[in-house]
Amino acid sequence: MVSKDSKMVTPEMANPYLKPPSVSTSQSLKNFFYNRETGAVLGRTASSWGKIGLFYLIFYGVLAALVAICFWGFFQTLDPRIPRWQLERSIIGTNPGLGFRPQPPLDNVESTLIWYRGTDSENFKFWVNSLESFLKDYITPGSVPGLGANINKCDYNQPPPPGKVCDVDVKNWYPCTKENKYNYHKSAPCIFLKLNKIYGWKPEFYNDTNTLPQAMPIDLKEHITGLKNTHQLNTIWISCEGENPADQENIGPIEYIPRRGFPGYFYPFENSEGYLSPLVAVHFVRPRTGILINVECRAWARNIKHNRNDKMGVVHFELMID
Amino acid sequence: MGARSKNPSRHGRSDSYRVATIPQIRDDNKTADGMYKSRRKNPKRKTDNLDDLKQELDIDFHKITPEELYQRFQTHPENGLSHAKAKENLERDGPNSLTPPKQTPEWVKFCKNLFGGFALLLWIGAILCFIAYSIQASTSEDPNDDNLYLGIVLAAVVIVTGIFSYYQESKSSKIMESFKNMVPQIATVIREGEKLTLKAEELVLGDVVDVKFGDRIPADIRIIESRGFKVDNSSLTGESEPQSRSPEFTNENPLETKNLAFFSTNAVEGTAKGVVICCGDQTVMGRIAGLASGLDTGETPIAKEIHHFIHLITGVAVFLGVTFFVIAFILGYHWLDAVIFLIGIIVANVPEGLLATVTVCLTLTAKRMASKNCLVKNLEAVETLGSTSTICSDKTGTLTQNRMTVAHMWFDNQIIEADTTEDQSGLQYDRTSPGFKALAKIATLCNRAEFKIGQDDKPILKREVNGDASEAALLKCMELALGDVMGIRKRNKKVCEIPFNSTNKYQVSVHESDNPDDPRHLLVMKGAPERILDRCSTIFIGGKEKVLDEEMKEAFNNAYLELGGLGERVLGFCDFILPSDKFPIGFKFNCDDPNFPVDGLRFVGLMSMIDPPRAAVPDAVAKCRSAGIKVIMVTGDHPITAKAIAKSVGIISEGNETVEDIAQRLNIPVSEVNPREAKAAVIHGTELRELNSDQLDEILRYHTEIVFARTSPQQKLIIVEGCQRMGAIVAVTGDGVNDSPALKKADIGVAMGIAGSDVSKQAADMILLDDNFASIVTGVEEGRLIFDNLKKSIAYTLTSNIPEISPFLAFILCDIPLPLGTVTILCIDLGTDMVPAISLAYEAPESDIMKRQPRDPYRDNLVNRRLISMAYGQIGMIQAAAGFFVYFVIMAENGFLPLHLFGIRKMWDSKAINDLRDSYGQEWTYRDRKTLEFTCHTAFFVSIVIVQWADLIVCKTRRNSIIHQGMRNWALNFGLVFETALAAFLSYTPGMDKGLRMFPLKFVWWLPALPFMFAIFIYDETRRFYLRRNPGGWLEQETYY
Repeated sequence: MVSKDSKMVTPEMANPYLKPPSVSTSQSLKNFFYNRETGAVLGRTASSWGKIGLFYLIFYGVLAALVAICFWGFFQTLDPRIPRWQLERSIIGTNPGLGFRPQPPLDNVESTLIWYRGTDSENFKFWVNSLESFLKDYITPGSVPGLGANINKCDYNQPPPPGKVCDVDVKNWYPCTKENKYNYHKSAPCIFLKLNKIYGWKPEFYNDTNTLPQAMPIDLKEHITGLKNTHQLNTIWISCEGENPADQENIGPIEYIPRRGFPGYFYPFENSEGYLSPLVAVHFVRPRTGILINVECRAWARNIKHNRNDKMGVVHFELMID
Repeated sequence: MGARSKNPSRHGRSDSYRVATIPQIRDDNKTADGMYKSRRKNPKRKTDNLDDLKQELDIDFHKITPEELYQRFQTHPENGLSHAKAKENLERDGPNSLTPPKQTPEWVKFCKNLFGGFALLLWIGAILCFIAYSIQASTSEDPNDDNLYLGIVLAAVVIVTGIFSYYQESKSSKIMESFKNMVPQIATVIREGEKLTLKAEELVLGDVVDVKFGDRIPADIRIIESRGFKVDNSSLTGESEPQSRSPEFTNENPLETKNLAFFSTNAVEGTAKGVVICCGDQTVMGRIAGLASGLDTGETPIAKEIHHFIHLITGVAVFLGVTFFVIAFILGYHWLDAVIFLIGIIVANVPEGLLATVTVCLTLTAKRMASKNCLVKNLEAVETLGSTSTICSDKTGTLTQNRMTVAHMWFDNQIIEADTTEDQSGLQYDRTSPGFKALAKIATLCNRAEFKIGQDDKPILKREVNGDASEAALLKCMELALGDVMGIRKRNKKVCEIPFNSTNKYQVSVHESDNPDDPRHLLVMKGAPERILDRCSTIFIGGKEKVLDEEMKEAFNNAYLELGGLGERVLGFCDFILPSDKFPIGFKFNCDDPNFPVDGLRFVGLMSMIDPPRAAVPDAVAKCRSAGIKVIMVTGDHPITAKAIAKSVGIISEGNETVEDIAQRLNIPVSEVNPREAKAAVIHGTELRELNSDQLDEILRYHTEIVFARTSPQQKLIIVEGCQRMGAIVAVTGDGVNDSPALKKADIGVAMGIAGSDVSKQAADMILLDDNFASIVTGVEEGRLIFDNLKKSIAYTLTSNIPEISPFLAFILCDIPLPLGTVTILCIDLGTDMVPAISLAYEAPESDIMKRQPRDPYRDNLVNRRLISMAYGQIGMIQAAAGFFVYFVIMAENGFLPLHLFGIRKMWDSKAINDLRDSYGQEWTYRDRKTLEFTCHTAFFVSIVIVQWADLIVCKTRRNSIIHQGMRNWALNFGLVFETALAAFLSYTPGMDKGLRMFPLKFVWWLPALPFMFAIFIYDETRRFYLRRNPGGWLEQETYY
C-alpha cells in the first residue's frame, strides 16, 4: 500500500501553529508560580534562573564598574574646596538669599512659622535648643576643625589675611544670648539672620549715602546717613519689616544686634576652613502677642536684587507669640 | 469599479459594521474554533440563525408546479395579486429591501478611542494631577501650577491621540451601502390585471412582475414566461457567462435551475414574467449579505499583539504605581506627595507616543503597498498578510487571466500547443499545413464574435470582444494566426447560419468562397466534439481526405480525452464543400429548416480552450511555498479544470498525487488508498457537503496541497473556518458577491480591484488593484517586514522607559532631588523618540524574509519577554546609568556632591528653606536649587537622547551587525539629526525655562553620557556577534526578540 516516494505527512509538518491548549486563568497562574511538570518557579526552572541570574549579575557588575570608572574619572577633575563653577557660571548665581534661625522642625519642613507661648518654658524649649545648636560653632570655635587656628579678630580696617576667617562674637549679644534664653521667655524673641554664602561673591556696598535706593526703608537710610565711621559703610545692611500694613503695626520696635548688617570684611567667602557666616540677631522688642505677624527681612547691597517670590535678597517668616 | 477603489476613504472595515447585525440574522457568538465569546448574551438563538444561513439554500418554489405556486401565494399569472392581498403581505413581510445594519453611534466609537488603550491610564494621571492641584490650590495661597499644566498636557495628549485614531477609523466604509446601491429602484408589477410601475421596495411575495433586458431583477422570482431570457449571475456565483432562464425546472439546486432568477442580478437579454418568491433579506442575495455582515471577524493579529502589549505595559505601570504609592505611605510621605509619585510613575511608564508611532508605521507601509497595487482598507490588515499561513485563493481572475484562450489544437492527427502567455512569447507552430488552414478557416468563419471597435492600438489578447467566451478565444487565436479576421469574413460572405443551441450542440454557417473562380459554397460547423464527429464521414489528414474509420475514431477519442483531461473546453470542427450543381450562387439557404446537408461532413480537427494562468502566478505560488504559506484553491469551477490550473501554477506541485491519482497508478479502488499518502487533494463541493468538521480538519491537516472545486459561498466560509480552527491565519481572495462572506470571515480578505464586485471590495480588507495573485506576495513581504520593524520600533521606544521611571524610584527611595521631571518625560515620549521610532519602519529587512516560516500567532508575539528583558533589563539600565551619571556630574560641579544629595529631598523641595548648604558651604535659595534641578532634568533628557542614538542604531538589526546592515536608511539618519536638533532646541531656546522648565546646558554636560552610548553600542554588537556565532544558543533564547 505504501508507495515509494510519498513521505508520511505528520500533523506537525502540515500545521506547525497549533493553538495552545486553553487553560483557565487560575490554572495558568498556578502554573506560572509553580509548574509541577517542569518544576519551574515563576516560569523558569532552577537552572534557568541560575543562568539568567548569573548573566544579569555579570551584566550589572560590568555596568557598575563602568559607572564607577566614570565617577572616579570625574572626581579626579573636582577640587574638594573650590566648586567647579562659581558665581554667574554656576547656577547658584550672584544674588544671595537670606536665612533665618531658629527654623521650624524638619517634619514641618514647609513651614516658616515661629510659634510659641512665652509663659511656658517647655513650649519654647525647641526654639531655644535649635538656636543653641546653631550657635554652638560660634560659641565654641574649637568644635569646628581648623577654626581654632584660623580664627581672627577682624574689623572694617582689619580684614582677615588670606585663608583666615573672622570671628563672630555672639556671646555678648545681650539680650540675645544663650543664658538669656535668647529672650524667648519675655515674649520678645531674637531671630538670627544670615546671608547665603556664595563662593567668591563680593558685595558692592552702598558706600555713597546719596545714592541709596528708593525702596530702602527710611529708618535704614537714616541709620546709614547717621554713621560716623565711613568704613562702616562697607556693610550689607539689613532691614526687617512687617509684610503688610497690619503686620507693620503689630511688629513693634526692632533691635539689630550687634549692628544693622553684615560687615564687608567677611566677604568674599572662599570656603576657608572654619569660616563662620556673619550673623545679625533681630530682637523683636515688643511684638504684639496672640496674633500672627508676617516678617520680611531684606539684605541691602548694590548687587543684591530683591524678589519676594523667588526669595532673592529676602527672607520671610511668621512670628506668633501666644 | 476601478475608479471607486482608488478612493480609499470609501473602504475600510468600519467598526460599526463588525458589531452591527441584521436583526433576525445575528452573529453566532462564537469564535472561529467554536468557543463562545464571553461578552455576548443569548448565544443559543443566534447560533441557530447563522447556522441557518450557512446551510445551503433550501427552497422548493422551483420544484412545484406553477398552479401550486399560484395557489401558495394566492396569485394569478395574468392578474397578479389583489391590492388588498399585496397590502397585507407588505404589512406582514415588510418592504422588499435589505435591512441596513445597526450603526454604532459615532460618539460611542469616539469614546472607545478616547478611553481605550493607554488612554485610561493617562486619564487617571490627568485626573490625579487636577486633584493634586485643586488640593494645593485650596490649602496654599501660592499653589504650584505644575500639576495643573501637567494635567492639561496629559489630557491634551489623550484627546489628540484619541482624535487621531478616531479619524483613522472613520475612514472606513459601510458595506450595506453598496448593497443598497444594488437594490433596483423600479419594477413593473401586475396587480388585479393592471400593469403598475412600483418602487421595488413595495414588491411583495406573490407579485407577478415583468422583467426585460437591462433590468435588475427586483426580487427572487420564479419564471413563468420567457422569451430568450438571459441573466448574468456573476455577482452571485462568480460565473460570468449569461445563463438562459425559462419556465422549465431543470435542476434540484435552486441556483442552477433555469426557472429561478435572483434578486439584484442583471437581465441581459430577452424578457420574462415571474412570480416573486422571496423578498428582501430572504432573497439569496439578502442571505449572503446577512451572512457577510453577521460574521464577526475578530481582531486582526496585530490588534491582538497590540492589546497584549498594552496589557503588559499597563500591568507594569499599575503594579509599580501601586507598589510605590504604598511604599511612599510606609516611608511617611504625605498622601499628596504619594499621589504625585503615582502620576510620575504612570507618565514615565506609559509610552505615550507609541500607539501613534505604530499607526504611522502601518500607514507608511500601507502607502508603500498601495504603490505596489495592494490597497489596504483597514490599517491593521497591513500586517495580517505577513502573519498569514494559509491563502485560500479564488481561481478565476486571480490565478488565471480570466480570458478564455485557445491552448491546444488537434489536426493532422497531432496535438499542437498554442501560445497562451500574456505577451505571446511562447512557441509558434506551423501555420502553413493544409490541416491548419482548413481548421483556421472554420474557426474564423463559424464564429459570431467580433472585436469591439476602437481598440486597434491594444494587443490582440487584451482587446474586448462582443460574444461568447469560447468564440472570443477562437477569434483572438485566429487574429493572431491569420490577421484581419474581419476581412476574411467579409471576403467569405455568410449566406446562412444556424446558431448554437443546446439540443443540436453545434453551430453551422454557409459561406461563399473568397475565390471568385470557385462557385462552390463552404459549409463550416463547430460544436461538441462527439456530436461533430457523429456528423462526419471523412477526416482531413495531411492534406488528404480519408475515410473516418475506427482507427481514426480511436485517434480522435484519445486526443479528445487528453485535452479534456487537461481541464480544457474542447470544440470539434468540420466542414463540407457544397457541390455547386446543387447549391449554386444565389441558392436560398433556409436556416430554420436546413435545406443543405448537415451529415456526412469532413472532420478537420479539435481546438481546446482554457482560462490560462497568469504569467507571474507560478512564481508567486512558489514564493508563498518557500515562505511557508499553504495555498489552497477554492473555486466554483469543475474539478478537472481546477486541478489542471492548480498543477500549472504549482498549487499542486509536480510529482504530488491525489488519492485518485494513486488509485489510478496502482490500479486499485480509491477506497483502498490511504489518504495520508496523498499530499494533494481535490475536493468536490458535493463531497465537502457530506463532511463533518472533523473530517474537514483532517483533510486540511494531512494534505499540503488542496483544491476545492464546485464550492458554494457557504462552503467557502466553512473552509475558511476550518483553516482558522487549525490555528492558521487565513487570507482569502475573491471577487464575487458569493465570496464576500468568506472575505469577511477571513483574517484578511483580499478583493480584486478590476474584476471584483463592490460588495466583495467592501467586505475585504485589502484590494489588489491589478487583480494579480503575485501582488499578494508583495503584501506578505511588506507585512512581515513591518512586523519585524514594529518590534524594533517598540524595543527602541520601550528602552527609554527605564531612564524615565528610575529617577522617580530614586527620588522616592533615596530622597534625592528629582533627576527627571514629568514634562521632560513627555518631551522624550512625544518629541525626540517619535521620529526615530517611526523611521525604523523604513528599515530594510535583515535577511530574506520570504524564506522563513510565517510567525506563530500564539507564540511569536510582537512584544515578548526577551524584548522586555533587552529593553528594560539591559539597554534601559545602561541608559539610566548614563542619565544618573550626568545628573550627579551637574550636581557635583555646582556644589552638591553625590553623597550630599541622599536624604536631602525634603529640604530641597521646601520653599521655606532659603539657605540650603551644599558640599562647598555655599547656601542655595529655593529658586536657585530649582534652577539647578531643572537643569539636571534637561541634562538627563539630553543624555537620554544621546544614549538613544546608540539604541536606535542597535535596534536597526536584531541579528546582523550594523556594518552589514549599513546606515542607508535615510529616514533613520534624519531621525538621529532630528532628535538631537530638537533636544538642542528645547534646551537653548529662550523662554523654554518658563514654558517647559528646560534650561540651557553647558557644552561639557552633553559629554558624560557618551561613554554609556558607546557601551550600549559595543555591548549590543558583541551580543549580536555571539548570537550569529551560536545560533539557537542560550543567549539567543534569552535575548533575541
